[in-house]
Amino acid sequence: MLKFSGLPATLAAAAVAMTLGAMSSGPALAKDIVLGASVQLTGPVANTGRYYRDAYQLAVDKINEAGGVKIGDETYKLALKIYDNQSDVNLSVRQYTQLVSRDNVNFLLGPFASNFALADSAVSEKYKIPMVQGGGASDQIFARNFKYIFGTLAPASNYFGSTIEMMKELDPPPKTVALLYADDAFDVSVAEGTRPKLKAAGFTIAMDERYSTNATDFNSLLSQIKSKNVDAVLVAGHETEILNFVRQAKSLAVAPKMYSFTVGVPSEDFRKALGKDADYAFGMTAWLPSADLKDRWFGDAAQFASAFKAKFGYDPDYHAASGAADVEALVKAMEDAGTIDPAKVRDALAKVDFESLYGRIAFDNNGQIDLPQTVIQVQGDALVPIYGVHGKVAPPKYPMPAWNAR
Amino acid sequence: MDLLGQVLINGILLGGLYAMMALGLALVWGVLNIVNLAHGAFIMLGAYVSLYLFTYAHIDPFLGLPITAAVMFAIGYGVQRGILNLIVRAPMFNTLLITFGLEVVLTYLAQLAFSADFRTINPTYAGDSIVLGPVVLPLARLMAFGVAIALTVGMWLFLLHTRLGRAIRATAQNLVAARLYGVEPRHLYAVTFGIGIALAGAAGGLYGTVSQINPYIGAGLTAKSFAISIIGGLDNPLGVIVGGLFLGILESLTALYIGPTYADVASFGVLVLVLIVRPTGLLGKAA
Amino acid sequence: MKALRIMLVLAAFAVLAAVPWFGSDVLIQFGINALLLAVLAQGWNIIGGYTGYASFGNSVFYGLGSYGVGIAMAQWHLPFAVGLVFGVVLAVTFAVLLGIPVLRLRGHYFAIATLALAQVMTAIVSNVELAGQNIGLVLPPLNNDRLFYELSLGLLVLATLTVFWLTRSRFGFGLIAIRENEEGAEVMGVNTTLYKTMAFALSGVFSALAGGIHAYWVTFIDPESAFDISLNVKMIIMAVFGGPGTVLGPVVGALSLSAISEFLSSEITSLASLFFGIVVVVAVVIMPRGLADMLRRFRKTGWRYFAENIRTHRL
Repeated sequence: MLKFSGLPATLAAAAVAMTLGAMSSGPALAKDIVLGASVQLTGPVANTGRYYRDAYQLAVDKINEAGGVKIGDETYKLALKIYDNQSDVNLSVRQYTQLVSRDNVNFLLGPFASNFALADSAVSEKYKIPMVQGGGASDQIFARNFKYIFGTLAPASNYFGSTIEMMKELDPPPKTVALLYADDAFDVSVAEGTRPKLKAAGFTIAMDERYSTNATDFNSLLSQIKSKNVDAVLVAGHETEILNFVRQAKSLAVAPKMYSFTVGVPSEDFRKALGKDADYAFGMTAWLPSADLKDRWFGDAAQFASAFKAKFGYDPDYHAASGAADVEALVKAMEDAGTIDPAKVRDALAKVDFESLYGRIAFDNNGQIDLPQTVIQVQGDALVPIYGVHGKVAPPKYPMPAWNAR
Repeated sequence: MDLLGQVLINGILLGGLYAMMALGLALVWGVLNIVNLAHGAFIMLGAYVSLYLFTYAHIDPFLGLPITAAVMFAIGYGVQRGILNLIVRAPMFNTLLITFGLEVVLTYLAQLAFSADFRTINPTYAGDSIVLGPVVLPLARLMAFGVAIALTVGMWLFLLHTRLGRAIRATAQNLVAARLYGVEPRHLYAVTFGIGIALAGAAGGLYGTVSQINPYIGAGLTAKSFAISIIGGLDNPLGVIVGGLFLGILESLTALYIGPTYADVASFGVLVLVLIVRPTGLLGKAA
Repeated sequence: MKALRIMLVLAAFAVLAAVPWFGSDVLIQFGINALLLAVLAQGWNIIGGYTGYASFGNSVFYGLGSYGVGIAMAQWHLPFAVGLVFGVVLAVTFAVLLGIPVLRLRGHYFAIATLALAQVMTAIVSNVELAGQNIGLVLPPLNNDRLFYELSLGLLVLATLTVFWLTRSRFGFGLIAIRENEEGAEVMGVNTTLYKTMAFALSGVFSALAGGIHAYWVTFIDPESAFDISLNVKMIIMAVFGGPGTVLGPVVGALSLSAISEFLSSEITSLASLFFGIVVVVAVVIMPRGLADMLRRFRKTGWRYFAENIRTHRL
């Protein structure tokens, strides 16, 4: 019987093709400083990933328009190289390696989400190329003593801090609290940080439930909230889950005195999807497009927001601001270091301290920055800041009325 | 006690939706022996059709279901006639692979066309509910439940009592027997797949009124649909009602008594158990 | 003819083995990934290609292998090798305990049962404290891609030699007999339950080893990526694309599809998945019996091969 004699030949051909296929190298651009990133442009988290791509692009364009980066006597332009990791962690690790070793990028910008940052930070550490990322807030990323990873999201454990401060001043004060959280790295960190804060503030934790990431059915949890008559509900999860949570709360007529969500509320997409059912929802953001946040390149945060909206057609939220700040932090560090040598820029990054459209950027020993969260609430069509670092900003709409009384 | 009653109601209503999701999959699998890994992607497409009818033509999602179903029937007919018919007699792996490939293609086309934004079909009454003593019945879920049961029973009657229905059932037994009904097999296959996809599309329309939709919901819905059809059994369209209700109630009770992270352990664990102990499903004829 | 074939295989092996000494980091990294996928495809070939059982549960073995290494290294601070062994033990235990009941199922039912097992394992592991729940485990990093590459290549060679041995052993003939006609095999005196379970376990050993190497290499595992069902679909596609039930088919399928997919995701980055889906659909339609079959018959029939395929398999 004739065996498949073609196969060995094909194997040899495939081995060679595979070897050659991955060897072609991109052209290196002279005089440009290339920043590289692998971002979720397709796949389930693409709708948040795009904030990073757009923010990186806008910041790079703006800095180039203003003349570029001055290092010593030379002026350099910035260039951006972005890959789509298709929301696949393994692919993102490979793409970062490719950025560093084939595309020869000078510095790295981050992906979105903690699990990606966690895996990708191993690449920056391995090649000793600084990565400034604005997409991962889990404390795990910074607990590995890595030297080349810097993060511009506020620490996960403190997300509900300002919300709890605000709750203490509410009238009538909520007594019982339900803490619900998805089972991923970021949300578990949030819950672990929130639990002791709730206890210290004297609230009774009536429910403390972990649910599966991407859960679609919240009816059992909602029925328990109703049956236990919980006053305040704090949810740490993802946008899809929170959309389902609010819609199902309405259809089961579950209306606690207040509810607050770690994500979703600041994003336009979320409020559009829920329509007027988004009303009364509390959330938090480490960033608001305020003219008080002065910025060297954009003027201030408000101008950044309008430039972003004009260019991409949707409102930026803190993800975008954080992404733009990542580019600015790298530029600042290069200028401070007076070189583009990765190790020296890394040392300069550890020392930067400047005001940006996103807030004050100064990394602690682990490489993370600390930004306070401002409590926000959807009130009618508006997104209103309620409670900030210095206490009350505007009166909350509280307690939330029953769904049929709106 | 009120809590248990409410959770049971939630489970039953969820079960109706589940039944609807699985109906098309069970039909295509049972009759054509095609395990359609793209089933969830078709549900997703149906949800977007309903969404666009609602947003741009202001057609109520429930009243628009026939239109959604018709559009999806056309797509399903075309896919079977143009692609799947070409490999019906190839080794079994191939249908799994090709429908997986279709799923990937449909998902990405959906993202290109609709973006990755999360959307909802939100008619004014979507959040309304009927209060019955201590329990609350969400209106949209109740309506979805009604439609699901009606369509499933309708499907059953169609297969039993119409000429086309009998031809389709005959196909499940034997391709030659199907010819006796005077229907060309290529057409019959395409019609059957089209009906399956139309049902998936209708399920998508219902799904969009109670849950959020985005291009990536398909894979999870396919897995659920498998569980439901197997638990119910493929011999009888009413099986999906049994499978759907069983799974809906099981998941709700698991979330209540054990914890929300165990709902998937329960549903897929039961699926494995049913397969091992009674592979023809709870309603199926004993093996 | 035969000598030529052996020489070609050895030459391919030599090229592959030398890659870390002349290739770029990207190539090595891509290579590790492609080789591990080839191991998975080859492992699947044992249960799927030779025995005829379309397993969607091989990603469970892969996941158990990953977690064996993950738990041993991150939680118990044991060496990598111990983790690999632990992972293999988990996989074999799983294959025997669940294989015996599940392998009684045929066709699509077996496929769905194994698919469900993968879902159950994801859900169970995300509740196990020792396995880091759904957050996952972070392993100590080891910066030595050459080692990972050569380990992966070694594993692939081992897997391929095992499959080669299958084609000339009584055990392998038993498996093929089961694939062709299970009742007939039983009559001929093949202990089908034992054979199927052994094939399932053997397939599991290779998948688990691949999972273990991968876990240590990426330094991070979580249930979703460890028990990823689309990985299982990939191994089937690769094995079927190359030619299931052949010695080299799955390897060729895995290496060529990996190269295509890698090329697509770095060149047309956002459309890569779309094209991958189209490639799969087209490949199934025009060559449902794999590359091996095409190579064998293409010389005789030429381009008519594709048209004939459609003619034979369509309704």
